[in-house]
Amino acid sequence: MGFMFNIDGGYLEGLCRGFKCGILKQSDYLNLVQCETLEDLKLHLQGTDYGQFLANEPSPLAVSVIDDKLREKLVIEFQHMRNHAVEPLSTFLDFITYSYMIDNIILLITGTLHQRPISELIPKCHPLGSFEQMEAIHVAATPAELYNAVLVDTPLAPFFVDCISEQDLDEMNIEIIRNTLYKAYLEAFYGFCKSLGGTTADVMCEILAFEADRRAIIITINSFGTELSKDDRQKLYPRCGRMFPDGLAALARADDYEQVKAVSEYYAEYAALFDGSGNNPGDKTLEDKFFEHEVKLNVYAFMQQFHFGVFYSYLKLKEQECRNIVWIAECVAQKHRAKIDNYIPIL
Amino acid sequence: MGSLFRSEEMTLCQLFLQSEAAYACVSELGELGLVQFRDLNPDVNAFQRKFVNEVRRCDEMERKLRYLEKEIKKDGIPMLDTGDSPEAPQPREMIDLEATFEKLENELREVNQNAEALKRNYLELTELKHILRKTQVFFDETAPDYQDMLVNRFSQLNPSFHSRPSKYDIRTLRVKFTKSQMADSHREEEQLNLLEDGPRGQQQQNLKLGFVAGVILRERLPAFERMLWRACRGNVFLRQAMIEAPLEDPSNGDNVYKSVFIIFFQGDQLKTRVKKICEGFRATLYPCPEAPADRREMAMGVMTRIEDLNTVLGQTQDHRHRVLVAAAKNLKNWFVKVRKIKAIYHTLNLFNLDVTQKCLIAECWVPVLDIETIQVALRRGTERSGSSVPPILNRMETFEDPPTYNRTNKFTHAFQALINAYGVASYREMNPAPYTIITFPFLFAVMFGDLGHGTIMALFGLWMVLKEKPLAAKKSDNEIWNIFFGGRYIIFLMGVFSMYTGFIYNDIFSKSLNIFGSGWHLSYNTSTVMENKALQLDPAYDAPRTYPIGMDPVWQVAPLNKIIFQNAYKMKISIIFGVIHMIFGVVVGLFNHRFFKNKRAIYCEFIPQMIFLIFLFFYMTLLMWIKWIRFSAQNPAPYSVHCAPSILITFINMVLFKTSPLINEECNEWMFWGQGVLQKFLVLSALACIPVMLLAKPLLIMQERKKALHQPILPYSTDGQDGENGGLNPQTQTAAAAAPAGGHGHEEQEEMSEIFIHQGIHTIEYVLGSVSHTASYLRLWALSLAHAQLAEVLWNMVLKMGLTMSGPMGGIGLWAIFGFWASLTVSILVLMEGLSAFLHTLRLHWVEFQSKFYAGQGYAFTPFAFEAILDGGGSTED
Repeated sequence: MGFMFNIDGGYLEGLCRGFKCGILKQSDYLNLVQCETLEDLKLHLQGTDYGQFLANEPSPLAVSVIDDKLREKLVIEFQHMRNHAVEPLSTFLDFITYSYMIDNIILLITGTLHQRPISELIPKCHPLGSFEQMEAIHVAATPAELYNAVLVDTPLAPFFVDCISEQDLDEMNIEIIRNTLYKAYLEAFYGFCKSLGGTTADVMCEILAFEADRRAIIITINSFGTELSKDDRQKLYPRCGRMFPDGLAALARADDYEQVKAVSEYYAEYAALFDGSGNNPGDKTLEDKFFEHEVKLNVYAFMQQFHFGVFYSYLKLKEQECRNIVWIAECVAQKHRAKIDNYIPIL
Repeated sequence: MGSLFRSEEMTLCQLFLQSEAAYACVSELGELGLVQFRDLNPDVNAFQRKFVNEVRRCDEMERKLRYLEKEIKKDGIPMLDTGDSPEAPQPREMIDLEATFEKLENELREVNQNAEALKRNYLELTELKHILRKTQVFFDETAPDYQDMLVNRFSQLNPSFHSRPSKYDIRTLRVKFTKSQMADSHREEEQLNLLEDGPRGQQQQNLKLGFVAGVILRERLPAFERMLWRACRGNVFLRQAMIEAPLEDPSNGDNVYKSVFIIFFQGDQLKTRVKKICEGFRATLYPCPEAPADRREMAMGVMTRIEDLNTVLGQTQDHRHRVLVAAAKNLKNWFVKVRKIKAIYHTLNLFNLDVTQKCLIAECWVPVLDIETIQVALRRGTERSGSSVPPILNRMETFEDPPTYNRTNKFTHAFQALINAYGVASYREMNPAPYTIITFPFLFAVMFGDLGHGTIMALFGLWMVLKEKPLAAKKSDNEIWNIFFGGRYIIFLMGVFSMYTGFIYNDIFSKSLNIFGSGWHLSYNTSTVMENKALQLDPAYDAPRTYPIGMDPVWQVAPLNKIIFQNAYKMKISIIFGVIHMIFGVVVGLFNHRFFKNKRAIYCEFIPQMIFLIFLFFYMTLLMWIKWIRFSAQNPAPYSVHCAPSILITFINMVLFKTSPLINEECNEWMFWGQGVLQKFLVLSALACIPVMLLAKPLLIMQERKKALHQPILPYSTDGQDGENGGLNPQTQTAAAAAPAGGHGHEEQEEMSEIFIHQGIHTIEYVLGSVSHTASYLRLWALSLAHAQLAEVLWNMVLKMGLTMSGPMGGIGLWAIFGFWASLTVSILVLMEGLSAFLHTLRLHWVEFQSKFYAGQGYAFTPFAFEAILDGGGSTED
């Protein structure tokens, strides 16, 4: 199928693989953690694929500037690929951006709930998830209004249908909206990848299944000690992971962390993640373990050719790299070197 | 001048520089550009090096300069580029430079900030002006009681809107509005009905109709309108008008198109909502008085304020312009200075620090011939820095391969580049470039032989050579042009040589020149010529004398056998040139062996290779000469035309040990006496060379190793026996130690089997290569034939049509056809064919010629030179 794939996607896949080769290696990280100041960090990044991306920033550097520039570079690369894509890759790439749209919406609603001016919130939104009506989101006071006034024109509209029932926007409801949206989004994306078939389906479904399970587990763990009822909780689980349906049912009954762990015992990969994590100092948190597993899956995506998974994986890997750099930069800036090694290495 | 034939002799030097003098010395060396520094701390991170702070300061300065450059370019101020490069400033001047840039940047930023604020102000006023003007229209075009109608309409329609918000409603609403303007009677009635529904005055009090006016980006308008409709459930009324003139966005100076809108609504709740949406879509709202008189007054005020602002803006712009013009004068100069400082500190970062911290230690490759110059430069640097301790330059012994440095000038540079494109010569290897200067244009010309096309090419090359300086100063970014310009001397030479071969081929735009008068005369009478289509002249009677130089022009009028005649001739000269070229290549190899004192290679490789090539292929070229000289149309029987043997068949039979059958009774079997015996001897000795090439060298090496191995083993065996032979040990050990010092340090480690395989590959490559390479030179004939044929086709198919046209239209037709022919000649015959011949020539040099002697495993000498850094910096910047 390679020759058919290459008609439309060959150039972009090659481009994406080229970009992927620019991802920092372990040796780069070893050098980065040795940096004394952010200027050192900048100097070292100049020697990598990032090149002169900080050259026009006046010193002294701030971590936020680095963060912005890293993101800007990633966004430019992604937009470039998006602009060259044709169907069905363009839809695929659009699907990737929907998750950022969800994040942006939640960010804005939470912000307006806390009486923050919209102009202060907009710069915090992820540029990949920006859409035209985004800034007017604060006119909505209820989810129904949110849907009718703002979201109905966006691609997120079908995902939002389940959320309209909620009465008003408070912290809890926003959280529920976020998770419901995400659930609908993941299921739709999963279905879309399945419909594409071939290697894309193989690679993407595995990654998305993991994403779904991770969300289910995290939701469960975070829900302990809140007023979220078990029924409501179950409604938030994305139903496209490996844990569907038995694992999710078991998760829905869980009352504490140990029970969640017990559920994960049935799934070899997840059991290993739980075993390797801990809350003691020096141990890796469960979240970090999940990230590591995600990185692994994303790196595996590059082992196969002629599929769309590389675009998703590249974005995710690059995001992880940005997080790593920002983490190291924060540690350097705050002279807090004890935890500087807690970045997630990208194999 | 020895350096043209071989690369420059290099030496590794250690350089001790006093800390204070290091900067000035490196600066001098940078101007000189003859020293390649080695990185002495490759394990140290970029940010842990000694002078990283200075490098960083330079980065910062560059950033400021780039900012200035950007601003200057934005204003389109020409930057003064004198092309000279000022010396790298002293380190202490760096602070001055930094201060200057800092001041300039701050000043510029301040001016920009002011300008931006003013522009923002200006933009707001302009937008307000447009709002006042456009809303005037909105208000004017409605009847005075328009607002009342509006109020009523809202009061009536509201309930239905609340219950059923759909697009249909707003559409009908709009229709009604427009229709009411046209005073539609039916609608009027309906309105009246509506009006009667309640007491009018009361309604006006209850429902105070509010409005906001503002400006929005035009592309956002549709979404804005939709959002308004959805969020307010259709209870607002929006009018909009485009602002035709583009407005300038103050933050980035882009032109943007905007629209004025006015929204009518009722109630405070809707007002906040509308305002929120406006904010969300980044629409700017402006106060707009309701009364026409107020509006007019406000418009007047706005106009005067715009006038005032214009003057202020003009002054700000003038100030900015002055600052930038002043900066533009020095900008290039500053760039050069900062880049030089940065390069110096980068180089200093490669150095080691002495234990005492007093001096820096550098290691560098330098050409032996230039040590004096370098020392003078170092002394100058020391004097400039005012240091008392002179720098020390020590030559070091090393087993590392030095870099290859070929000194070139503008003429040889292009030829050297052709060679380096294949591979940089190993250190001190014979450099093929000087021979290429002649052979390259010549072999090209053999393929491109046409006096006319050659002239075009030579003139183009000559133009570039003569206009060298002004053309070089232009520094074009056009890659293709730069390739042509870089190879201007090659092009010129290729053109001149093509003119020569074209003259020999007697070929000018596929026609011939009859300069000396043909050597042939016609023995047929007119009627025979007219009646017969094909007549042949007999060279025995019709060619009393030969044409003095080149091809006889009579061949031009012999369409049937011209090609056959030329093919025989061109094929033969191709092989002759090829064999000579290859033999020359092998001979160049001899100089390599002699230079590297590789006697074994002379006996085991050079001599058998020579024998093989000469006995087989050079002998074949000799046969060609013999055939040319001995056989002639005028000669009697054994050496007449009919008896001339085919060289190719003869050669094949020679290798197969066959005798060729007699062509004719009166002909001889051989071309000369003893040919049969001689040929057998030649073939047998050539074949005998193959095993020599294959085995001699590895066997000799093996023998040598065995000898070397026996000696160190001895001590062990004797040690075990008794202490009697103990006295031998030191002696044998010194002998063993002396062996590797002989100069073949790492060669000893090579596996024996590997040597055999290598030698096998080389031999097979050479033997098979000799056959295929000889055949490969036939491309000289093939391309020459193709070129001549193409030129002829173009003449016959195109220009001939124009030449045969008659009447007054013929002139015009010829004019047009000539243009067509000329452009095709230049584009296809000169450019494309030229490129093709060029590539084939390149191949003949890289593969057929250089494979005979050239290793090309060296690495180029890249000295630390400001010139290269500035050039490279300039191109990457753009």
